[in-house]
Amino acid sequence: MKSRVSRALVAATVACNGGLQPIPSSPGISGVVTFRGAVPDSTQAVYVVAYHTFPHSRDSLFTFQPSVQPLQQLPLGGATAEYTIPVESGRYEWVLAVWVKRGFTLANADSTLRETGYYRDPADTSRPGVVTVLSQPTDSIDFVVDFGHMHPPCRYYAPPCP
Amino acid sequence: MRLSAAVVLPLLVARTLGAQTAVVYGVVTDSGGAPLEHVRVQLTGTPLADLTDPDGRYRIATVSRGTVVLRASRVGFVRVLDTVTVTPGDSVRADFTMRASAVFQDPVIVTAAKRSQFLDQAATSVALVSDSDLARRAVSSVDEAVNKAPGVQFLSGQVNIRGSSGFVEGLGSRVLLLVDGVPANQGDRGGIDWDMVPLADVARVEVVKGAGSALYGSAAFGGVVNLITRDIPVGVHGQVRATGGVYANPPSDAWKFRDHTGGLGGLDVTGSYGAETVRGAMTLGGRHSDGYREQDAADQWETAGRAEWLPEPGTRVTASGAWTSHQYDVFPTWCGPGQCDTRGLTFQPFRIDPSSRGSYTRSSKGYLFATVDRTVSLRSAWLARGSWLRTHFTDVKPSDWSVSNRLGAELRGTFHTAGDRVMIAGAEAARTDVTSDIFGDHTQAELAVYAQGEQPVGRLRLTGGARLDGLAVDGASQAAQASPQLGAVLETPLGTWRASVGRGFRTPTIAERFVTTQAFGFQVIPNPALQPETAWSLELGDVTTVSSWARLDAALFWTETRQLIEPTFLIDSSGVPKIQLQNVSRARLRGLDATLALVPFATLSASLAYQLLDARDLSRDAVLAFRPRHLLTLGADYRWRSFTAGADFRYSSRIERIELEAFFGQDPRVAARVLDLRAGWQRGALGARILVTNALNYIYNLVPRTLESVRTVSVVLTWTY
Repeated sequence: MKSRVSRALVAATVACNGGLQPIPSSPGISGVVTFRGAVPDSTQAVYVVAYHTFPHSRDSLFTFQPSVQPLQQLPLGGATAEYTIPVESGRYEWVLAVWVKRGFTLANADSTLRETGYYRDPADTSRPGVVTVLSQPTDSIDFVVDFGHMHPPCRYYAPPCP
Repeated sequence: MRLSAAVVLPLLVARTLGAQTAVVYGVVTDSGGAPLEHVRVQLTGTPLADLTDPDGRYRIATVSRGTVVLRASRVGFVRVLDTVTVTPGDSVRADFTMRASAVFQDPVIVTAAKRSQFLDQAATSVALVSDSDLARRAVSSVDEAVNKAPGVQFLSGQVNIRGSSGFVEGLGSRVLLLVDGVPANQGDRGGIDWDMVPLADVARVEVVKGAGSALYGSAAFGGVVNLITRDIPVGVHGQVRATGGVYANPPSDAWKFRDHTGGLGGLDVTGSYGAETVRGAMTLGGRHSDGYREQDAADQWETAGRAEWLPEPGTRVTASGAWTSHQYDVFPTWCGPGQCDTRGLTFQPFRIDPSSRGSYTRSSKGYLFATVDRTVSLRSAWLARGSWLRTHFTDVKPSDWSVSNRLGAELRGTFHTAGDRVMIAGAEAARTDVTSDIFGDHTQAELAVYAQGEQPVGRLRLTGGARLDGLAVDGASQAAQASPQLGAVLETPLGTWRASVGRGFRTPTIAERFVTTQAFGFQVIPNPALQPETAWSLELGDVTTVSSWARLDAALFWTETRQLIEPTFLIDSSGVPKIQLQNVSRARLRGLDATLALVPFATLSASLAYQLLDARDLSRDAVLAFRPRHLLTLGADYRWRSFTAGADFRYSSRIERIELEAFFGQDPRVAARVLDLRAGWQRGALGARILVTNALNYIYNLVPRTLESVRTVSVVLTWTY
């Protein structure tokens, strides 16, 4: 009888595990994006990604972080969205939101990916801002995602867009 | 011998009448075959009834022809029904055997129909928290007591009945709070101050589930909670109740936030004197809590009083009032990276952003009620009531304040007519004045008339009624709402079935219409054009005594809502996002709630309550936010001589969707699994109870970044005179 009670108590305790636990933080970038413009009907997803160095060629287009797949989509429909992306510690020259059109493949990336907004240098908002990530998430990397002003990747590397 | 016409005529009339009616008679015995006295045997739906004599015999004459349902009932026994067919001029025998039941009585309730009725005669579902439940659970606040009722769940202080309210940051409750039948929601925000009435003064709580606007008007959108205060007994009586306890420390050292163990304590003193014509009672109390998280301390002082004058039989004049002053620290949300030193963790659930330090609220609230209640005859009674309700809060950091005063009046008549028909009719008026730096200065006037009738038809009891509400707010439009309700109760050998359909509505509160403030870093702008939320509720239920030791109460419910008021982001002309409350959502809440009460032995009782909720936001084709799909409560209590021991376990499934998903959607969310343990001892006037809430120290949250209470051990000592 005693062992039965003990087993029941252990079972109850185990059943009630699973509450919130301490979760070690990992390096990352977080912030809030503010949406502008109407979300295109052809939207598959919007992601926030970061580049250590600004991509100057098509070959470096897919060197972004986070490298962990799948990427987490930004929730659409609201005026703003909070995001956190896990990235390695280091210096990031370009943190941007990428719009992905339905039907995207690696082969048609030039026509199905768009830059929809990026974190800007607070001192000179015409330039991308540099983000330094230490051992914990770097927050307040806020920027605007403007569906009315989206740019294809070829805008940023040679040869220029046809 | 010749018979005179004066003799013959009455005999002929009697013979003719006898040919149209019959006599039903029989014997009532217990399960051992012994005759039972004082059993009431009644033809359902009629006033025809008889009480059994010492030999268990009864006799009901002048029963009309046809099939009739007989009901035998006595306190301490399971009620029995039988159907017999009556032939004119004949006699029909119907014997009953009744099983003893120590527990399954039919309690009297007063909220579902604004009059006294047996619980199983209500056309809508009603959950009860009795005074013995309150004492057994040794809770220290009213909301803790209500939170244990089947189908009720609190989300960070906001009450939900069948998923009615969700969580709307305290702005607007879709549940109406009554104190002895008087509306007591805040005049400005429409929320509920659960500390309005000292727990020591609460005799029982009735929770009516589903739309109740047909009798109660606005805010009775998803249900009604009625706190019924104690009657004053004859003689001199008193009670002292002392509470002390401790909060568990965080289960992980990485979450530790203070060097000492948090405590709580309180003292309540109640005294009363009652004579035949004059009675009075007074309660004084105070409590302190260190809280279980950083910046979570609270201090509260409260007083309540009641005076009664009974000038003649059937007349009662009552004046009652309460005042509570509550100062509590505000725990905004827990902190994450960049907000505080997270010690290398993704979040610190016990700690806050240091920039929020020093934030607290002073909240005072109180009421004065005066009631004249007169029973004119066995067939009619009336009630007249005036009320004043005041709330006043001051927030410090950020600084804002509001004062609301609500003056109300109600006149109601209750009429019993031939054939067991009951009718109530009444009128209510209220005026609310609000002065605030974030809601502005506004006045709201309300006027309503209502009527409801109950008509027995055979074994069926039909109810129908409606209420017409008119509301005017300065600076906003006027609104009128009609709220009909139909119900039926049918007694069968398979239990008492109930069905109801009714309309509910909730007018936007003054805060919802006119608030101007900041939230989550965004400006919140007013919307005076807000329209009332509306709902239709449908319910089908059955309460059946499965055996002498088991009773099941189950209901299917379906609510369709329109124009739900929710915070919405919008972009102004300069491209700046703002928050405004708007009528945006259509929703459907449907499901099942069931309660099984068991008393296998006289010393052991248990209960199981389950609610399945399918809540859909139809405008977004998504799950409605802040509504868990499953809610399960298990309870058991054992009594041995002067000792009692018991436990409750509550499971609430993980909340699938929250509002502001964009901000908090990535936060961890878990199901709630909370075990409460209790034990008590009572000897004469002295009693002691120990209560361990959240005994497994399960760490969880129900609303974003707001930790629910950790394990708390408290001891309650009472002395009753």
